[in-house]
Amino acid sequence: MIDSILLVDDEDLFHLVFEDSCSLLDITLSLKSLNSADEAVKLFADWQKDPTNRPECVFVDLNIIGSSFDGIELIRKINFEYGNHVVIGIISSSNEPDEQAKAVQAGAQFWIIKSDEIEPRLEEFKKDYEGFKNRTQPFKVYK
Amino acid sequence: MVIDKNTKKELIELFKTKNIGLEGNIVKLINADGDEEFAAYLKQCSEKDVATRRKRLEMTKQVQTQNAELTKLNGENQRMMEELQETLSNVENAKLTFEAQNIELNEWKQENIRLTDKLQDEMLKSEQARLAAENAKNEAENNLDMIQKKTQFELINNIVRVALYVIIGVGCITTGIYVYSMTIGMDTDIIGSTWSNMFGILLTNSFSIVGTILGVKYGTSPNKEEK
Repeated sequence: MIDSILLVDDEDLFHLVFEDSCSLLDITLSLKSLNSADEAVKLFADWQKDPTNRPECVFVDLNIIGSSFDGIELIRKINFEYGNHVVIGIISSSNEPDEQAKAVQAGAQFWIIKSDEIEPRLEEFKKDYEGFKNRTQPFKVYK
Repeated sequence: MVIDKNTKKELIELFKTKNIGLEGNIVKLINADGDEEFAAYLKQCSEKDVATRRKRLEMTKQVQTQNAELTKLNGENQRMMEELQETLSNVENAKLTFEAQNIELNEWKQENIRLTDKLQDEMLKSEQARLAAENAKNEAENNLDMIQKKTQFELINNIVRVALYVIIGVGCITTGIYVYSMTIGMDTDIIGSTWSNMFGILLTNSFSIVGTILGVKYGTSPNKEEK
């Protein structure tokens, strides 16, 4: 089970879906959801000073409406500006190889396609999680 | 997390009497600590929580799907509105162009009417000038005819006058010679026959001249058909 997860997604309904799916699949007991990338950056800046309550894994939406930058830029900032200590990846309805390549360059470890049936992908991700945590699992797209 | 016996008992009692149990991830963190009744309670709470979450998840997904469809429809509606707006804008532009062309056509029409009126005026003036010229021509022809007739008449008048003078003069001279011859007792046979012949010739010539004059006058009259 993942210790704690942070979800950054502008869609509030998906927060509920993700929370229920994680609970039903016993993925985590601690989930925090944010609506904007700016909020996430602010939190990571704080966690850089005091890592208490810092999440173990971060799920980022590709296009975060209402934010100053997109999900790939957020991943880049978290990885290169606030320390590469979390398992981080994209959760998006997009399946563009170009975007996925950019995400890899920014330091993303996984890409989960967001759809109605998210649970099987999250279940598969749960199985691979230890590999991501140990940095032994290569970048993977969950379709 | 371990809970004391009294709290466990109260929680189990609350679940039995009012069907109120623990919910959420906290259930997963509580340890029954060998208490079978509490372990069963936690299992029931967990199952209830799973059922509730599953139900909420399905409903959330339905709402999400409907939301996506609504967003799609909204996008389609927006697109149609933009198309409609564009069409309206095009129609408005076409209307403005048409109105501008209409104004231009009306101006052309007014200009055409003005030119037509001017042309008609000019044609009228031209016709009037043509009539005036024709009248002037007719008048000139009449004047020329009159001058010719007057000249002819004066010439004829002179001829007649001279002819009459000649006839009267010859008649008077011949008659005088004949009377003088009879007065002085000269032989008048020759002169008498000569005088009568000559008088006859003069009368004949006089009538011939008069007839010629009348003939010429009739022939040159413009109203000879009426006559």
